[in-house]
Amino acid sequence: MGVVLANIIAIYRRELQSYFVSPLAYAIAGAFWFISGLFFVLILLSPEGILNSVAALDIQGQQIGVPVPPIDVPYEFVRAFLDRMGWLLLFVLPILSMGLYAEERKLGTLELLATSPITNWAVALGKLLGVVTFFTTLLLPLLVLEAIALNNSNPPIIPTIPLLGHLGLILLAAAILSIGMFISSLTNSTILAAVLTFAVILLLLFVDLIAKNIGGPLGDIIAHFSLLKHYSNLTQGVWDTSSLILFASYIFLGIFLTAQSIDALRFQRQ
Amino acid sequence: MIEVEHLNKVYGSTRAIHDVTFNVEPGEILGFLGPNGAGKTTTMRILAGYLPATSGTARIAGYDVHQDSYSVRQKIGYLPETPPLYPEMTVEGFLYFVARIKGLPAGDRPGKIKAAMERCNLLEKRHVIIRKLSKGYKQRVGIAHAIVHDPPAIILDEPTVGLDPRQIIDVRNLIKSLAGSHTIILSTHILPEVSMTCNRVAIINGGKVVATNTPENLMTQLVGNSGYEIEIEGEADFAKQIIQQIGSVTLVESISSVGMHGQTPQDPNRARLRLICQPGTEPGKEIVAALVAAGFGIYEIKRANATLEDVFLQLTKEEKKLELTEDLVTTEEGEAA
Repeated sequence: MGVVLANIIAIYRRELQSYFVSPLAYAIAGAFWFISGLFFVLILLSPEGILNSVAALDIQGQQIGVPVPPIDVPYEFVRAFLDRMGWLLLFVLPILSMGLYAEERKLGTLELLATSPITNWAVALGKLLGVVTFFTTLLLPLLVLEAIALNNSNPPIIPTIPLLGHLGLILLAAAILSIGMFISSLTNSTILAAVLTFAVILLLLFVDLIAKNIGGPLGDIIAHFSLLKHYSNLTQGVWDTSSLILFASYIFLGIFLTAQSIDALRFQRQ
Repeated sequence: MIEVEHLNKVYGSTRAIHDVTFNVEPGEILGFLGPNGAGKTTTMRILAGYLPATSGTARIAGYDVHQDSYSVRQKIGYLPETPPLYPEMTVEGFLYFVARIKGLPAGDRPGKIKAAMERCNLLEKRHVIIRKLSKGYKQRVGIAHAIVHDPPAIILDEPTVGLDPRQIIDVRNLIKSLAGSHTIILSTHILPEVSMTCNRVAIINGGKVVATNTPENLMTQLVGNSGYEIEIEGEADFAKQIIQQIGSVTLVESISSVGMHGQTPQDPNRARLRLICQPGTEPGKEIVAALVAAGFGIYEIKRANATLEDVFLQLTKEEKKLELTEDLVTTEEGEAA
């Protein structure tokens, strides 16, 4: 057990170290911060932003003389912002996951991992932890922005809601990265891995729509697999165990399939 | 230490290796010699547990490489055909990573890593990023990564590829210094390498082991010491035909007529041949008689001792067709891996 843990940590450390020296990681971080910062400002402060529209609604209500029901602005803002972030993941995560195994296959370093006393599970878990950590680091500056904005709300927002929302964001990312890691293990072309992952994520996000079209009990079952539905549960501050189980299942499935596909690779090499 | 019995590997309809059997005693260096595409890399990969064999068994330190893959992987250091390096890591950082995943205890790491870098002359490059190293240095990092955890069995697939002559000598000395405390199997297509570093040679061709013995024994048993070098006047191809009719001659080949003195032949009708005869025979008289009878002039005839190269050529000259298909297989294999 201790050995397995040491192996996972070794893989995890190497994975993290590689982000520090990778130009791609810096480019992703820069683009991610720019776009998410833009979302943040636009949602909050632009003329169509949440503050202005609520203010306009208030003025309207006073003119007519009918009081507007109170709107929980910070809550609405966190929801709207996290919703946009969910969409941003669609573009960021395939780029993060594409190289996880494809790069190892291309470099031949998979041969090192496969002939070392380390299980495929440990490698996959270490890699996933590494990339999820990198993604979580990307979120840190945004947390500072949110802290500044939400700090000024009156009455103050209950911290559980944004915390749950961000936990949801990380879980959503981990689920997608896990599937992306599996796709990356199928090919030695990073581009192909990214394109396939993009398509699969798109499908998983749109499962909702497909389910609605099918309708009936089958549609209900399919709707449960929707990542977006369970994500919006969490961003609304709803603590739903089934959502957590779904995300955990995706993560587990991704790791399982990755370990299997690397094992199967042994028998395919020609 | 390493026992290989009746190993077969079939890719689709092609046989990469066929009934390969050999043994490596503890502390010994076995050279695995063969032309490109003979099945060397396939055998190495099976030993390292990277590929499963179609049939047959291979055991390292008593563990089956397929059944007890995990135990075997703890016991081996393996340098694949292309060294598996992370280009963005420093030499030292990479070796630390390898030491960790090979399960080397934390306390032993600094000492063993330093020792491995010293052995491979990497100390002055320890903080350099691997991407910036030359091919020779990368190869040395590859060797260092295979020995860093001090494994009892070391598998080296073409360890001297890409090195300059000076480095090749260093690597050979390094490998020799590892013998005794380590069991080593190394593959190569370079002949002098085998006679210089290995205690024993297994020659593989077309997926089959055609001979296993010490380099010296191979030379004496298979070709003895009898061979000739002849310079003649006349057409080389015709002369070869005539010489080949003599029963005790096993191999005839043209060699460059630019002799030791570096002169080009004044006469295009002048050729130099080298022949190898069966051990214990002295067909010199018959050769000269046959050549003279056919109207050839003889400038020079002298005794030439057989080299390992002759053994190799003699053992591998057949089955050219098979060899070609093997070449294809390994190219594809290289791309897939």
